[in-house]
Amino acid sequence: MKNFEFIKAPDVKAALALLDKEKDNAYLVAGSTNAMVDIRAGKVNDRTLIGIRDIEALSGIKFSRGKITIGAGTTISEIAESSLLAKKAPVLFQAANQFADPTTRNSATIGGNIANASPAADTAPPLLALKAEVVIAKKGSKRRVAMEDFFLGVNKTVLEKDELILAIEFSANPHSAFYKVGLRNAMAISVVTAAASVRKDKDGNITDVAIALGSVAPKPVRAFNAEKAVLGKKADEKTIADLMKAVSKDISPIDDVRASAEYRKDIAPVIVKRVFCKACGICPNEGRTK
Amino acid sequence: MSKHDITLNVNGKKYELTVNSNELLLNVLRDKLFLTGSKYGCGIAECGACTILKDDESYFACMVPAVAADGWNITTVEGLADGDKLNPVQQAFIDNSAIQCGFCVPGMVVTSTALLRENPDPDEDFVKDYLRGNFCRCTGYVAMVKSVLDAASKMKEAK
Ligand SMILES: Cc1cc2nc3c(=O)[nH]c(=O)nc-3n(C[C@H](O)[C@H](O)[C@H](O)COP(=O)(O)OP(=O)(O)OC[C@H]3O[C@@H](n4cnc5c(N)ncnc54)[C@H](O)[C@@H]3O)c2cc1C
Ligand code: FES
Ligand code: FES
Repeated sequence: MKNFEFIKAPDVKAALALLDKEKDNAYLVAGSTNAMVDIRAGKVNDRTLIGIRDIEALSGIKFSRGKITIGAGTTISEIAESSLLAKKAPVLFQAANQFADPTTRNSATIGGNIANASPAADTAPPLLALKAEVVIAKKGSKRRVAMEDFFLGVNKTVLEKDELILAIEFSANPHSAFYKVGLRNAMAISVVTAAASVRKDKDGNITDVAIALGSVAPKPVRAFNAEKAVLGKKADEKTIADLMKAVSKDISPIDDVRASAEYRKDIAPVIVKRVFCKACGICPNEGRTK
Repeated sequence: MSKHDITLNVNGKKYELTVNSNELLLNVLRDKLFLTGSKYGCGIAECGACTILKDDESYFACMVPAVAADGWNITTVEGLADGDKLNPVQQAFIDNSAIQCGFCVPGMVVTSTALLRENPDPDEDFVKDYLRGNFCRCTGYVAMVKSVLDAASKMKEAK
C-alpha cells in the first residue's frame, strides 16, 4: 500500500484544528471513494489523511421554512432514500438514485462529490439547478459560496487547503428534474447530465429557472443562455425550440474515452429539453400539459 | 507511518488491534483475523468481491483504511451463518446452483443479504439493480438473481 498517515477526527472542531496544523500536508477523506482510487494511483503520497466520515454533525438532511440543509458528510444512499428530497428536490433525489452502485452510495458523500469536482460529478448539476450555497468553514471563520462560483475547473474548486465543507443549502423546489446519459445503465460515469428547476406564476409564465449540465465543459456548468431563452415565457413549442438552440452556446465539450464532443453537442439540447419539460410538468414531445 | 490501536467488532467478536495508518480494512480482515472469505479483486470499488456489512449496510472493505473503521460493527461472509445453519441467501445460492468458480460469491452473498435487510420483498429489477456493483465472470448472473428472489420468498414463508 502507498504511504499515508490517517487520523480520525472525532468532531468538526478537531477536523478544523488538524487542517490548520497540517496545512499543505492535509488531505480530507469522507467516504474515501475518490480518495482510495487517487491513493492507489499514487496521486496522494505521504499525506496526512483526516478522516471525517463518522462525524455526526456533518451528516443529515434538514428542512425548515422552505430551506433544505444537507450535511457535507451525508451519503448518497441517505439522499437516494430521502422521501423529503423525493418531494421537495426531485432533481437531487433522481441523481442519487442513478449514482454508482448501492454499496458505493453507502460510502460516497455529497461533500466529497462536489469537493472532488469531476466534470461528471452527478450531484453537481442538480445543486447548480437548485442554486445551492456551499457552507465552508476553517479554523475561526465561516463563509458561504454560491454553487455557480464553487467549481473552477477539472478537480479544482474555491476550497482552500485548510477549509472543510460543512453543508449545502438550497430552497426546496418540487419542479425540478435530472437526466443522465451513461454508456450503460449500471455503474457508468456520465456522458452528459442535465438538471433543471423552474418556478411559474399562475398564468404559466416562467418566473425563475436554472438549468445545469455535467460532462460538457471542464466543470459542471449553468446554462445561462438556455435559461435566458425561457425566462418570462410560457413553456410552449417555440420556447422549447429556442431553449434547444441556446444550449450550444453554454457548452464546450471535448472528445474523451466515453464519447465524442460532437455526440455531446448533439444530445445536450435533447436532454436539456427533457429535464426542462419534466420540471415544468409537461410532456417533452408535445409541449403541453399531461 | 504511525501505529494505531483500534477496536473492531467482527462477526460478534471484539478485536483490539494495532494497525499501520496505511493498512486497509480488507487486509486486516484477511491477514490479521484470517477471515479470508472477503476477496481482493480490484482494490478500487469496481468488483464487489470484498463486500462486508457495517451494521446492516454493505461496504467495500478494499476502500476503507483500517483506522477509519475503528469502532465499526462488521459482518463478513463467515458471520452470516448461524452455526451450521446457512443464512437464506447462502442456502439459496446452493439450491439454485448459482456458484461456479466461487470467487465473487462471498461479496455477492453479503450484498444480497444487505439487499434483503433493506427490502425483504424485492422484484427482479430491484435485485439486478442492487447487484450492479458485484461482478461475476462465470455464471452470467441469472441463477444469482433467482437465488435472491428464492431467498426472499423462503424468508416470507418462514414468517
Ligand atoms: C465504483 C465507483 C463508482 C462511482 N460512481 C460515481 C457516479 O455514478 N457519479 C459520481 O458523481 N461519482 C461517482 N464516483 C465518484 C465518487 O464516488 C464520488 O465523487 C463521491 O461522492 C465522493 O465522495 P467521498 O465521500 O467518497 O469522497 P472522498 O473520496 O472521501 O473525498 C473526495 C475529495 O473530496 C474532499 N472532501 C471530502 N469531503 C470534504 C468536505 N466535507 N470538505 C472539503 N473537502 C472534502 C477530499 O479531500 C477529496 O479531495 C464513483 C466512484 C467509484 C469508486
Ligand atoms: S476488491 Fe473491493 S471492490 Fe474489488
Ligand atoms: S462464480 Fe466465478 S466469478 Fe462469480
